[in-house]
This record gives sequence, C-alpha cells and structure tokens, in this order.
Amino acid sequence: MQREANAIDFWRGIALITIFINHVPGMYYARFTHANYSFSDSADLFVFLAGWSLRYIVGSPHPTRPPRPTWYLVLRLGGRAVELYAAQILITMIAIAMLAATATVLDNPLLLEWHNAAAVFYDPILTHIGLASLTHHLGYFDILPLYVVLMAMAPVFAIIDRYAPHWLLPISIAVYLATLIVPLPVPTWPVEGQWFFNPLAWQLVFVLGFVLAREDGVGGFVRRHIVPLRWLSVPIVAVSAYIVWNRMWPDPTLAPHPRLLFIADKTYVTPMRLIQFLALMALFSGTYPYIERWALRFVEYGSMLGRNALIVFCVGSVLSLAGQITRFVYRGDIVVDTIVVVLGIVIMSICAWLPEWREQVRSKGSAQPSPVS
Amino acid sequence: MARASQIKRISAAVAGVVTASLIAGTVFGEGTAPAAPAAPPVTAAPPAPFSPECQGGSTEIVTESPLPNVAAALQKRRTVRILAIGNSAGRRHGGYTRQIERILRQVVKGADVVIINRGVSGELAANASLRIKNEVAMNSPDLVIWQVGTDDALAFVPRDEFAETVQSTITWLKEHQVDVVLAGLQYVDRVAQDDNYYRMRELLREIAAKEHVMIIRRYEAMQFIAAAQHAGGFGQDEFERTEAGYNCLAQYLASAITLGAFGKGLSNRPLRSQPQSPQQQPMQ
Repeated sequence: MQREANAIDFWRGIALITIFINHVPGMYYARFTHANYSFSDSADLFVFLAGWSLRYIVGSPHPTRPPRPTWYLVLRLGGRAVELYAAQILITMIAIAMLAATATVLDNPLLLEWHNAAAVFYDPILTHIGLASLTHHLGYFDILPLYVVLMAMAPVFAIIDRYAPHWLLPISIAVYLATLIVPLPVPTWPVEGQWFFNPLAWQLVFVLGFVLAREDGVGGFVRRHIVPLRWLSVPIVAVSAYIVWNRMWPDPTLAPHPRLLFIADKTYVTPMRLIQFLALMALFSGTYPYIERWALRFVEYGSMLGRNALIVFCVGSVLSLAGQITRFVYRGDIVVDTIVVVLGIVIMSICAWLPEWREQVRSKGSAQPSPVS
Repeated sequence: MARASQIKRISAAVAGVVTASLIAGTVFGEGTAPAAPAAPPVTAAPPAPFSPECQGGSTEIVTESPLPNVAAALQKRRTVRILAIGNSAGRRHGGYTRQIERILRQVVKGADVVIINRGVSGELAANASLRIKNEVAMNSPDLVIWQVGTDDALAFVPRDEFAETVQSTITWLKEHQVDVVLAGLQYVDRVAQDDNYYRMRELLREIAAKEHVMIIRRYEAMQFIAAAQHAGGFGQDEFERTEAGYNCLAQYLASAITLGAFGKGLSNRPLRSQPQSPQQQPMQ
C-alpha cells in the first residue's frame, strides 16, 4: 500500500528534479532552480528530508504503541546504508562505462577527464580501492556517498534519540562546530582533495530533519511558533536572494576567525547557508497546502517521485551525465536543453511509476482468490 | 652592457642545464637532490629547458609574468603556498601537482613548497570562482594555479559570462595579493576543428594578456605532442598524449613559477608565434 501524497514526498520529488537539472553544467533551465536565488540548494533539501524520513522508520521517542526493538532499528538502518552503498557503486560503474564508451566512440579522451573519472582510467589499481571504499567520488556523484555515511550513522542517531532524545541535537551541533572550527576536512583518496560534502558537517542537516520531524521537543516548538518564524524568515530569504542574484557575496577574507563560521560554503554547509536553508524551509512549508489545493495532480506526481527517491535519484544521476554527453555531442543550446530536461523527467517519472504499478498488480493478484484453492 | 648580457645568458644556460637534469630526474624518477646546507638563502636556478616532448616547437608555451607575491613569500617566510584549482590530476605518483612540488623543491633552494589541492573535476569557472575566494580566505595561498576553460567550453557556457567570471576572479585575487597562473584548455584531435573551443582558448589568452597574468598554453603544447606522435615520435594514442600533456603541464608550471618569482623583466614578452585558427590547423 503506497503512501498518500504528502509534503515531505512532494518536496523530495521537487528536490530530485532540481538536482537532475543542476547536475548538467551549462544547462539553460538551471537558472530557474532555487540555487540561483539562495545560499542553499537542492542538496540541502534532499539531506534534510532524508533526515525527516528517518523519523518514519525510527518513530517517536515517546511512542503511544510499544516501540520497535533497538536491535531491529539498527539492523534495518544498517541494511538501508548497505542498499545505498550498492546503489552508489552501481551508478558509479554505469557512469564510468558511459564516459569510457563516449570517449572511445568520439575518440576524445577529454571525456575521460570529466568528473574526476581520469583517475579510474589512468590510475586504476588504487582508484578502484577508492571507489569501493567511497574515498573516490565522481563529480556530481558525491551526494550518495554522503547519504551512505549518514545512514551508517543513523543507528547511533536513533539510539541517542530513543534513550537521550534531548542530547541528540546538542551532540550533533557540537560535532558540526568542531568540524568547522578546527576544521576537519574528510580527505579523498587516491586523488588528493576532500569530500565535496563533508559528512561531519552535513550530519547536522540530517539530524535537524530528524529532530524537526518530531511532534514534541524542537519540532514541537517550531510547529507552535511557525508564524513568527516565517516572518523572521522573510528578510533572511529576501536578503540572501538579493546577494546571490546580484553576486554581492561578502568578501570571505574579511570574515573573522574561525572563518568557516562566517562564510558561505557548501562543503561545510556553514551557518550562513544553514540558517538561510532553515528560513527557506519555514517559509515554503507554508505553501504546500495551497499547492495541494490548486494543483493536486502535481502534488501527487511530485509525491510519487519522492516515494521512490532512491531509484529516481540514481536514474536522475545517470541521466544528468547522459544529458551532459548529449549537450556536448549536439552543442548544447536551448532546444537540446529542452529535449534533455523533458526526456529526463519523463524517464525519471516512468522509473518512479513502475515499482508502484508493479506493487499494485501484485496486491491485486494476492487479493483475488487462488484458482487452485 | 653586452658583456653583462652575455654572462647572464651563459650563466642562465649553465643553470638551465643543471635544472633540466633535475627536472628530468624528477620526472623520470632518477634524480637525487643534493643535501641542503643549514639555513640556506632562498635561491633558484633559472627556468629549465623542458623535456623533449614538452618543447612546443616555435610556439611559446609559457607566457611569463612576474609573481611578486610568490617572490615576497619566499623571501619573507621561506615557504610558498600554492592553491591548485581545476581538474584533479588523478594520475599515478600523486598527479601533476605533486610533480610540480617535487620539481620546485629541487629547483628553489632553501624554501618549502606547500600545494593545497582543491580540484573539483568538471567544475565550471563560475562555481570555481566562488570556491577560490573561500579557499583563499581559508588557506592564504600566495599563488593560485587555475586550470580553467576546458569544462566551460565542453558545456558551451556563453563566452561573455565565462570572460566576466575569469576576469573578475583574477582582479579579486590581485586585490588580495595572490598571484595567478592560468592553465589553459587541453588539446585533442577531436576539438581541433571546433570553433567554440578555439574561441574559448583565444578568449582566455586575451584575458591573460589584458590582466598580465601567466598562462600555460596547454593546447599548443599538447598539439606539439600530437604532431610529434603523428611523425612517429613518442606516445601511441590520444590517451597517452593526455598523460604526457599533464607531465608537460607540471614542467611548464614549475618553470613559470620559478621564472615569475625570480626572473626580472619578463612581463609582456612577445609570443614567438600566434596560434592557428581551426581553418589554418593541419588536418589530423
């Protein structure tokens, strides 16, 4: 039985579409995504909603019904982390094959240089170890490794939430602040660099989604005070949109030390970015009832994508690379971009619809009496 | 005056041979650095001739400009901090940035070289620009090596947007006392006839000339390697050529940094030959 359309699945679906568009560099339609008007982008939304969804699995720390045993939660979340890991390995290998095939067919080794793939072809021995151990990521295929790590951390979050719920957010904030103040980069290997999404910093976005999904505690506080919080959010969202649109970023060298606390940075999801993201969430969460009222079909469609987030994300990642190759071959312009976006969204939609259709067929089949009996 | 010039040329040639042997040793893994004396002054040999596959014919590959902030850092702190932005060099032996580090440590005596690798492969100039500013704030480099243009050309980024981004970033870096070396677009046979690609690398060269910043003309260098390969020289295919291109890039950059930090009167030196338009280029 599939979930009814809801705000979380709907916004997750929207995040998946915008991630797909934003992951095609130079794409004309990328200018219409909120990344162009906001410090934060779809990645923040995706991770936050992943944390929110974790609440559905873990449940409330003060359940009305007997809670699921802790060992069950640990196994289930661990299993989910393995599932995400398998998905990351699969889409990475598909992406490598796509780049290799295109480079060979077009006799153009520049394509092997794309997206950190060069190491796979020029230094394959160490890089394959890096791929399997998630220390080497292809460019634009770096959100899922973050998600794998966050899901691997999720049993710890769930246990703290169950036995010391008031400690989860303070611990998460402490780890975040230590990561920014020291700072603590998470290195990549064998190619020297750092994770584009630092999991020690991004865990706070995930945990915020998890704790805000609670009906009590911080989540309850936000629900009770959502109207003044929305008013507070208006100037934050407006000023950030003005800064980003006009490229009036403050000079990061003028920021006091420790600088990561005062500059806008995606790798460390710095406070400037995080506060703007939360303000954006507070503001836009109020629009969902209106969207649902006036565009129910659209909400149902977005929710369908969100319900099947992992498969849609994986397909979207591969499609965004296919879109880049298409733009390269056919010299990207607005016509090519339109075809890429439309085809991409159609394929993502089919991939979200298929498992639900299969589930419906299966449940109908099991409801009918067996001819044998 | 003429005598002084002659002495300078001879000493440069001698030092060049010494440095060349150091570079060759580094590149081919046979070099042994002599032991450094206690508290040595920061000195450098003049730029080395490049290894054979990196001598780009009649085209000047490295357009030199002074690197005053690198020079000042070496004299003041005996350390130069270099931020590498652009395609990560995912190659054996630590990639081209490690190679630069090795060469510079041997060529520039009595100083330490720290390379901060922040390459994000496939990143467009617009995103790199924002990251460069944050990395400068975080790591206080004296020099930024910016591999730029290839990904923007492949993604068909509008050229005016690209130019505005690169130019404003260079201006910002200059205002913050950070030197810049641009590593230009790469060459493969397939893009030789591409008008957009040609215009993009011309644009980058114009920006470098206008802003008086160093540019490594990687396209021309790799084109030379390709021509040598077609003539039966080294390298067997385009993939090996790309690998050789990175080796050369490391040598050019090390040479450019040495020249920029220690050379005198190098700015605005005229190019020996102009790049060919796609129509003029020989069919591959």
